[in-house]
Amino acid sequence: MAGSIDRNFFAGAVLVYGLSMIYSLFLWRKGFRRDDHVNYLLLLLAFALHTTAMILRGFRLNHCPVTNLYEATTFAMWSIVAVYLGVGLWPRLRFLGAFASPVLFAIGVFALMPSLDQARNARPGVSATWISIHAAMMALSYGAFGLASVAAAMYLTQEHNLKLHKLQAIFSLLPPIQRLEAVVGRLLVSGFVLLTIGLAIGALDLTHLDNPQAFRGDPKIIWSALVWLIYLGLIVMRWKFAQGGRRFALGAIGSFVFVLLTFWGTNALSPLHNP
Amino acid sequence: MSLVVIGLSHHSAPVTLRERFAFAEARLPAALQLLRDSGAAEEAVILSTCNRVEIYAATPLEPSKAFSALRDFLTTCHEFYCLNEPQSVHHLFKVACGLDSMVLGETEILGQLKKAYDVALRGGHTAGRLNKAFQRAFNVAKQVRTETQIQRGSISVGSAAVELAEKIFSSLSERDVMVIGAGDTSEKTARALLSRGARSIIVTNRSHDKAVLLASELGGRAIHFEDWAKEFASIDVVISSTAAPHYILDRVKLEPLMKLRRNRPLLLIDIAVPRDIEPEVNFMENVFLYNIDDLQAIADDYLKQRKAEAVRCEKLIRDKVEGLLGSSREGQTGGTKYALTLPRSQTPTP
Repeated sequence: MAGSIDRNFFAGAVLVYGLSMIYSLFLWRKGFRRDDHVNYLLLLLAFALHTTAMILRGFRLNHCPVTNLYEATTFAMWSIVAVYLGVGLWPRLRFLGAFASPVLFAIGVFALMPSLDQARNARPGVSATWISIHAAMMALSYGAFGLASVAAAMYLTQEHNLKLHKLQAIFSLLPPIQRLEAVVGRLLVSGFVLLTIGLAIGALDLTHLDNPQAFRGDPKIIWSALVWLIYLGLIVMRWKFAQGGRRFALGAIGSFVFVLLTFWGTNALSPLHNP
Repeated sequence: MSLVVIGLSHHSAPVTLRERFAFAEARLPAALQLLRDSGAAEEAVILSTCNRVEIYAATPLEPSKAFSALRDFLTTCHEFYCLNEPQSVHHLFKVACGLDSMVLGETEILGQLKKAYDVALRGGHTAGRLNKAFQRAFNVAKQVRTETQIQRGSISVGSAAVELAEKIFSSLSERDVMVIGAGDTSEKTARALLSRGARSIIVTNRSHDKAVLLASELGGRAIHFEDWAKEFASIDVVISSTAAPHYILDRVKLEPLMKLRRNRPLLLIDIAVPRDIEPEVNFMENVFLYNIDDLQAIADDYLKQRKAEAVRCEKLIRDKVEGLLGSSREGQTGGTKYALTLPRSQTPTP
């Protein structure tokens, strides 16, 4: 019963993400010429419901709710919305919400699958607090990568319109593409830093296990290292080799799509994360 | 006491005529005093700008006598429009909102109108009638600005280029502009960019003297035509307007230059006919090429939007005029345009 209350709040949040997505289509059709705060307020409402769901679950479990796939997914989503609500205080960046809401709705619907919300036994020998911090850092990093990919999608939209001389590029209230590229870059770097910290904490947690060497070939560890390398490659490509612009935006989107498509499957295959 | 307007503007008279009636700012207080002393008006505001000269007067005289007296006051006979209520009030509101301006929706006229009113007010040349009308005009202008899109967008090629630049670059204040060649449109475009904060201008032309002249007018520096590619590393916006019969910039030339610039976004504005820049370069990453037709299309579309908004503004103004004058005066006619003929000796040369 207690579990269903927090899930109900999350379901309510997903419903509001859906409404935001529908409204975003309206904004898109109008060429992003109107900034009427409605979408921001919808996402703020969804965030309130989402936060309530996480707080209720946290109090029920007596720790940060990042111990199973459902919780990790909702945490990552929550961090995307939290960062957006901060960034969206700048009027020109508010339209990020219109690009984020379809992603949030899709991930939210997926997260509500009952099979994701299984109770987890704590792994013996590792502090639950450090596991929570590791999981929270990872979820926050995915959130940053998610919002970076949303900003990259916005960049590609505006860049496409400018290239093809569409009047919509001028009349819309979307921010300049250089600013969008900067936002993508900052979010990627923030996500990368959080990912690095999260992986470092995870590595430290491993050392407390009885036989850490047994998990050397764990799919999730390999996958995490691959994700870390992909984002490192993106950052080096952008700053060392000046490969910004469309390639950088496509890289940010492609990398997050890869994370989205492989996260849950890799997690399911990981004995380390499925004791 | 009725509120009348007499004037001439860019609609009714060329600049060679308008300038004969213009009032220097320093002369306005004396002119207002003179007008009131003549008995033609008890309250008066004189608006004198590069596009119009108008007298707004509250007069106890019959309209035809008032217009006659005001024309005499102006001393020279040309093409005036003479409006009585409610058209006079309607006209005042339209002027304040920029709907009667040469550039539809421009905002400069409101400042000019406020200044003209302020001069009259400080000199004690206005009282209840004009004070109420002008204050209401300023409120209507503010309402139109906030509730409609009449002032949005750029309807000249130069300012369309600025809007474009502002969609690409985070801030113009760190952007450097290069003008290749010379021409009225490219100069206006460069000025528009500078007015919005572009950091510097480099001018180059086959004739170095012309480049130096234009650079000094724009506050930039001139370089020899052969050296323009060397400066490319620091340039963000290029305005090209040469008389070259061939492309001066193509993909082959631009690729190494983009590497020098570390692939930062580059805006190319090609105003020349025939074009200076190969259209293929638009397909290069981080390069945005716009020609004169593209910019004109942006400006035309904004003008179309403003014209559509003007209809909304007219309705708003009509409501406000009714509110000021009261619906009981709706039936009154008062719009009369008088065409005056000049005495032969005073016929202006066109």
